[in-house]
Amino acid sequence: MTGTSPGFDRERITSEIFSHLVELAALELKADEAEYLRHELNGQLNAIHELENIVIDDQLPISSHGVPYHGATAAGLREDVSEPGSLADDILNQAPQLEGRYVVVPDIPHRELE
Amino acid sequence: MTDFEIIVGLETHIQLNTRSKIFCSCKADSWGDPPNTNICPVCTGLPGVLPVLNRTVVEKAVLLAVAMHAESVQPISYFARKNYFYPDLPKGYQISQYDEPLARGGYLDVPMPDGAVRRVTIQKLHLEEDAGKTVRAKGRRLIDFNRCGVPLIEMVTGPDLRSADEAAQYLIRLRQLLRWLEISEADMEKGHLRCDANVSIRPMGLNYLNPKTEIKNVNSIDAVRQAIQTEVERQKREVSAGRPIEAWTLEWDEDLGALHKMRSKETEADYRYFREPDLLPLLVDSGMRKRILGAMVELPLERRARFVMQYELPEYDAEILTEERSLSEYFEATLTARPGEAKTISNWMMNDVMRMLRERSVTASRLRLRPEHLAAIIGMVEGKLITTNTGKELLEKVEESGRAPADIVAAEGLSQVSDDSRLRSLAEEVVAESPDQLKAYRNGKTSLIGWFVGQVMRKTGGKAEPQRTRAILEDLLSE
Amino acid sequence: MRQALCDLPGHELVKRLRRKEISAVEILESVRGRIEAVEGRAPTTEPYSAQPADLERVHAYITLSLDRARQQAEAIDRALAAGEDPGPLAGVPLAVKDIFCVRGTRSTAASRILQDFISPYSATPVARLEQAGALTIGKVNLDEFTFGSSNESSAFLPPPGNPWDPRRVPGGSSGGSAAAVAAGEATISLGTDTSGSIRQPAAYCGVVGLKPTYGRVSRYGLIAFASSLDCPGPVTRDVTDAALALKVMAGPDPRDATAANLPVPEALGDLDQSAPKLRIGLSPDYFRLQYPEPSTGGLSERPVDPEIEAAVRRAADLLSDAGHTIVENVPMPNTRYGVPAYFVISRVEAASNLHRYDGVKYGYRYPGEVADLRELYRRTRGVGFGLQPKLRILMGMYVSGEEYEKDYYQRALRVRTLIRRDFERAFDPHGDFRLDCLLTPTTPSTAFEIGALYGDTVSMQYVDLLTVPADHAGVPAVSIPAGLDGRGLPIGIQFIGPDFSEVRMLQAARAFEQATEGDEWRRIQPRVVAAASAGV
Repeated sequence: MTGTSPGFDRERITSEIFSHLVELAALELKADEAEYLRHELNGQLNAIHELENIVIDDQLPISSHGVPYHGATAAGLREDVSEPGSLADDILNQAPQLEGRYVVVPDIPHRELE
Repeated sequence: MTDFEIIVGLETHIQLNTRSKIFCSCKADSWGDPPNTNICPVCTGLPGVLPVLNRTVVEKAVLLAVAMHAESVQPISYFARKNYFYPDLPKGYQISQYDEPLARGGYLDVPMPDGAVRRVTIQKLHLEEDAGKTVRAKGRRLIDFNRCGVPLIEMVTGPDLRSADEAAQYLIRLRQLLRWLEISEADMEKGHLRCDANVSIRPMGLNYLNPKTEIKNVNSIDAVRQAIQTEVERQKREVSAGRPIEAWTLEWDEDLGALHKMRSKETEADYRYFREPDLLPLLVDSGMRKRILGAMVELPLERRARFVMQYELPEYDAEILTEERSLSEYFEATLTARPGEAKTISNWMMNDVMRMLRERSVTASRLRLRPEHLAAIIGMVEGKLITTNTGKELLEKVEESGRAPADIVAAEGLSQVSDDSRLRSLAEEVVAESPDQLKAYRNGKTSLIGWFVGQVMRKTGGKAEPQRTRAILEDLLSE
Repeated sequence: MRQALCDLPGHELVKRLRRKEISAVEILESVRGRIEAVEGRAPTTEPYSAQPADLERVHAYITLSLDRARQQAEAIDRALAAGEDPGPLAGVPLAVKDIFCVRGTRSTAASRILQDFISPYSATPVARLEQAGALTIGKVNLDEFTFGSSNESSAFLPPPGNPWDPRRVPGGSSGGSAAAVAAGEATISLGTDTSGSIRQPAAYCGVVGLKPTYGRVSRYGLIAFASSLDCPGPVTRDVTDAALALKVMAGPDPRDATAANLPVPEALGDLDQSAPKLRIGLSPDYFRLQYPEPSTGGLSERPVDPEIEAAVRRAADLLSDAGHTIVENVPMPNTRYGVPAYFVISRVEAASNLHRYDGVKYGYRYPGEVADLRELYRRTRGVGFGLQPKLRILMGMYVSGEEYEKDYYQRALRVRTLIRRDFERAFDPHGDFRLDCLLTPTTPSTAFEIGALYGDTVSMQYVDLLTVPADHAGVPAVSIPAGLDGRGLPIGIQFIGPDFSEVRMLQAARAFEQATEGDEWRRIQPRVVAAASAGV
């Protein structure tokens, strides 16, 4: 391949890495979805690799937010006051499966005793 | 057979006794409440909600960090997201401090029963939110989110403990400190204080660390001791048989008194931590720190040492009186009213006041019998205004009624009878009424003197001054 | 020509309402009539195939709440009759982007995974707008979870069409917001901006889109995409309305720790009072587009659409004529890194924010048999999420993995610092430029056709090249209409100001608005509106 920039790699995310990501993300994908997604991921990664060319001073701080918060602009902490919740029933009403006031899920795998 | 050194480190989770949860205004303590009642959109991770940090959580954590002699309470610390799927974790991530915790370093000096002191180092102390609870049911799990967002401090020790007993002692001292500082109820059975133990062994005298196992789900101090002991024995058997120790995670089964191996769920701990963008950096500036430390008190071990030094109390008394903060404060308040009588007050407290506390399941600060009442009672007994027995009965009477001891003594006529002529006439009555006993006494059975004193006591309703009564009786009987 | 009530700006409606020339119910009925005329069939999550009629309609709303709006309108009319103050936005029809929770309404994020979720609570900005008297007409469409720049990724189809040409996209992700306001189906809309999602659709639809300073408006109740970037803001007919809406929704919120503890400027209520002379900058870095060639990864450069550049330069001339100072050649060299840094930061945060959708507590749960909980997660998320959320989750997983986090995420956060410093230099009151604001194009081109870019996620993201830097830096920015291109499509220009300088920035935008009040293009209505008006 001529004319591609250094670091360009259409296959940075291999099928193996991809499967691992899918497992971590708890996603079930159809074959055509998987193919499309892996292609797009690699395309985006190539765009991201532009960042590698920037010379960055180690001392350069990170910005977790763009706007810095100073003492004056930062909201204070919350006072320790408890308020009786009035929305508990509304919240439970949104649950797909209930048993009494418990939310129900299927059994949990990978946690067996020997 | 090789001698092994036992190496234990503890990871503790401390549930703070705040009114509200760490990031929302729901009631923090759900003990005894039905499932999913103390919940709101924030702690159940509804779409769109945001966390707002509880000030008191920070204050309690700073107090603990300073009490644990932290090398540094960080002026800036951060929260991160720890991402994983579990049904008791409604957001799919736990908000927890991670690479920039609130405090680093520190130690607790733990006195051991043999008199030695073990310095247990602390690696870090951080804040995090608790997850909910899952209940196993047949083929499914039931989930209760009440505990979601309850504030926790995680504190990790160095591998400094050398036996199961030492681990237990550390937890006892930690529990004492948490209650002392009033930052946690620290009841292990209720999960206020939770503990995972990392256990390894190595041949005595060597200096490397072997692979360790992690024991989870131990929820009492006895269980910690037993679980560690059980695991140490297992590791010794394995090593002696030439088998390697693997870095397992074990679960303590309280009912069976046995350890189970937990199968790791996708063992790679890929939590993909990153800074929580919904929270600002946590700033603890000098002003805040100063204000928080205004609430700092003398710590239990310091107070114990001072009681020995300043009041010349025996170690044993000092230990008992400083087991719990309000008890020690009660003692000193009583002592203020009767300076110089530390040992007498200690005796009264250890014999009588503590029994009252046990019977009523309360702490000293909750008694209606205030320190000034106790001091007054001791004063009356010492001044021979009332008998010791009357004094002891008075403790209960004050506690029941809340009235001042002197008022009760006056109202009920409990003053000690120490008037010589009155005692002599009563003693004469008793002697006259008891010819057989008199005869026996005079025939040499002088041990009957106690019986005679008892008879006089009966006639006075227990108020006769015992020494004087005895002297008068001896005088009469020997005539 | 007498304009329909539904085509008037909000401040005009409030004025007439207070003079009792019109009632809130009349305003609502005007909007209802317009919706019936232009909206078309309701979008659903059923399998979709485009009908010819779909390409003539707007399809802005996922959920209409006209009954709720009717009650609000009647309450306002009662308040007015009783001589009470009905609020600064009394009777103003509001469309809420369906990324905000509104108590008792379906709050879908345009995703199958939340298609039946009824929120038990209301977002702070929604509550404040309703408190101010706005009439909640409904919830408008968007890209699924806001992930897109065209609205085509919504799970609710047909997708919104651009009222100027419904075969074209309205932009995104606040596409339903911009389309509804442009088409007279609402007067103001509450949108969100993460990489340009308010400004880009506003530009495409010929309306005003304001992204306030990060922290100016509470995010409580905004279903999160990228928490460090997401910014609620208004989409409106004119600058005055944008200021009014911001004034109502801004300010500290005890439920959002990142909401800045600053008072809301009173001046938002009257921009024309004491408008100062401003220093306004132009940057060459906003007239060219630098992006990697998808096939090679090599860096390409091309200019923005010449008609758009011309619109910006004309604006500069007009502002100069009005007495403002134009400063040329302000370097903003890190602009080009906005998109790649965004690819990293937004994905890490998005993947984490989407963890909570697991079929346990609310929303969609896979209804079939599953062997265990893990399978329930996989199937629920597999069916519930569309392609764009899946893509963002996977990318987020990749770049935040332990082995890559330092190279990608930490580096991207440092690049954000560089982008921020470009703005700090330009706005530094003691620096070389001392700008009050920058004037730039909003988008590289005008609205593109439905289907032209969808699927090519890299090209789609570069649509945000000129808007995303302000999101990284957290600074406020506003897109306003500046004319039509040769095809009759709206052109947007953008003002970007320093932190919390919304008043000055909007005064600059207002100055342009005043300078172009007599422009012919301002009399031209979007095609669907013209057709509806002709049909009446």
